[in-house]
Amino acid sequence: MITILCLEDESEVRDAILRDLRPFESHFRIEAAGDAADAAALLGDLAKDGDSLGLILCDHRLPGESGVDFLTNINADDEWRHSRKILLTGQAGQQDTIRAINHGGLNHYLAKPWNPEELRNAVRDQLTTFVIEQNIDPLPYLAILDAERLLEKIRSIGAP
Amino acid sequence: MTRSSPPTKIPAKSGSLLAALLAYLLPFLIELPGLSEAGHRLFSVFLLAVVLWVTEAIPLFATSALVILLLVSTLSQAAAPLLWGLPDGFSSGKAPDFTFYLNCLADKVLILFLGGFFLAAGAAKFGLDRNLASLMLKPFGTKPSRVLLGLMLITGILSMWMSNTATCATMMAVVIPLIQRLDPTDRFRSALALGIPFAANLGGMATPVGSPPNAIALAALKQSGQCSFPQWMMFALPITLILLATTWLVLLTLFRTRTKNIDISIKPKWNQSTPAWIYYLTASATILLWMTETLHGINSFIVGLIPITVLLATQVVNTREFRSMEWDVLWLVAGGIALGQAVAVTGFDRWIVGLINWNSVPGYALGGLLATTALLLSTFISNSAAANLLAPIAVAVAINAGSSPVAAIASVALGSSLAMCLPISTPPNAIAYATGAVKTRDMAIAGLAVAGAGAILLILLLSTFMRWSGIH
Repeated sequence: MITILCLEDESEVRDAILRDLRPFESHFRIEAAGDAADAAALLGDLAKDGDSLGLILCDHRLPGESGVDFLTNINADDEWRHSRKILLTGQAGQQDTIRAINHGGLNHYLAKPWNPEELRNAVRDQLTTFVIEQNIDPLPYLAILDAERLLEKIRSIGAP
Repeated sequence: MTRSSPPTKIPAKSGSLLAALLAYLLPFLIELPGLSEAGHRLFSVFLLAVVLWVTEAIPLFATSALVILLLVSTLSQAAAPLLWGLPDGFSSGKAPDFTFYLNCLADKVLILFLGGFFLAAGAAKFGLDRNLASLMLKPFGTKPSRVLLGLMLITGILSMWMSNTATCATMMAVVIPLIQRLDPTDRFRSALALGIPFAANLGGMATPVGSPPNAIALAALKQSGQCSFPQWMMFALPITLILLATTWLVLLTLFRTRTKNIDISIKPKWNQSTPAWIYYLTASATILLWMTETLHGINSFIVGLIPITVLLATQVVNTREFRSMEWDVLWLVAGGIALGQAVAVTGFDRWIVGLINWNSVPGYALGGLLATTALLLSTFISNSAAANLLAPIAVAVAINAGSSPVAAIASVALGSSLAMCLPISTPPNAIAYATGAVKTRDMAIAGLAVAGAGAILLILLLSTFMRWSGIH
């Protein structure tokens, strides 16, 4: 199963994000972590279960390792390089943001406070790209992700 | 925070593989009276193909490769030095050379079909399908019933030349925004979501390049009759059109709407580049030559080579696109062709036909039986696999019963394209179901109505349409 990982230390904020992502629950495994160490342990679990990481939704200011540092670390790992990465933060400076783009493989930046619809659109868009780029069968995701882009993919790969 | 263990399919697969092995061994254990040794060996391969094509324990095209390998190594001259040696009982008295089976991988029908792939590849590359759709939709206005009719006609016409799946994917992308704008309780959403896949399935019947079962049918006819490209269209196109109209009425009756207007405006973006123009001209010339075969006498197989050559030579279809053609479909069809040839040379066809006294069966009943069998089988398995299994037998049965082999084989090909009751019946159905806009129950009811109408139509009118197109 494709997983969405949400890395956010404040529990109320985390709950709000998870609530906004509820429409994706039917098709994706959604995991949440409070700090980078927690997230790294979850990634270990994913690898063990044979699940892929489709998307990380990451805050920057965290206890311990920062969000941008965490993104940079996992972007250097072949296993997670292709996972889509969204930074959802109010407190990343220009330097951190540049680092996230150049070395963390950042795909999308969302500022706090976020608009739930905007968040869902970004998640939908990034996961659609993940399914297309990783050559995952698009059919199961037609109803939940960007159908137009997935149909384009189906047209190009064909079927018996 | 859900946890799920990865689904495991391995037990089901090994069960199917074991069943395939047992099926293969069965004819070695039972002596069938009247069937030659060669026929027994062929029966083994046939049973194995049935199990593997039905269960899809290995990919469909892999089964084709296995079928060809088994035929070469047990039923050709290549078997002579092997442990099991050459069997007796070939119809010609002598086992064929191994190339008899290998050549199926480059059968002329496959070249024709590859020509069709090139037309489709260009259409996708330059957005021709989408542009044509926007152009042809305009005259239909905004009344929901008219919009549905327009969408279905365009889908049907595109699907005559492109794969059913590609057509359905293109047109669903047009329809999904319309569906989303309708009220969620409006039943007309189902009509739109079903109209596209059904029209794609039906459009595929109309030309020899429309759908793999048609190619399989043409290949099976090779020895026993002829059917040119325009002849095929002359009997199949009326059936497609009547069924499109029927489907339209069925959908309008089942799914009424309160909506007064559906605004559909897709802006065409015509690609005017030189490669696009080379493609437009080549595609038009190819289709024109196919449809006028009777006038100029250049057979459709040779014409199929024209788009392949022109589009490759001009680099309009580049290396990457050439590599990503649906070669798996060609191999799947090739396996069926090889199996059909083997059925004929081993005398298996005469033996299986001889089990029933066909003289007492009238022609229309025979066609109806074949069409219904194909329809039922392909509801659950791939249309091409169903045609692969039924085509060789259909030809033999028809010849034995003294009726037209073309009619018999067309019943199989068209019948297998009628299967559209379930999401698994065809890839277009699977796409429509996956969008979430249609329930299985609605698909089953509408699909049954269309399939039923289609089967009746084939039984009553196919032979008439065939007479009109000069096939006896």
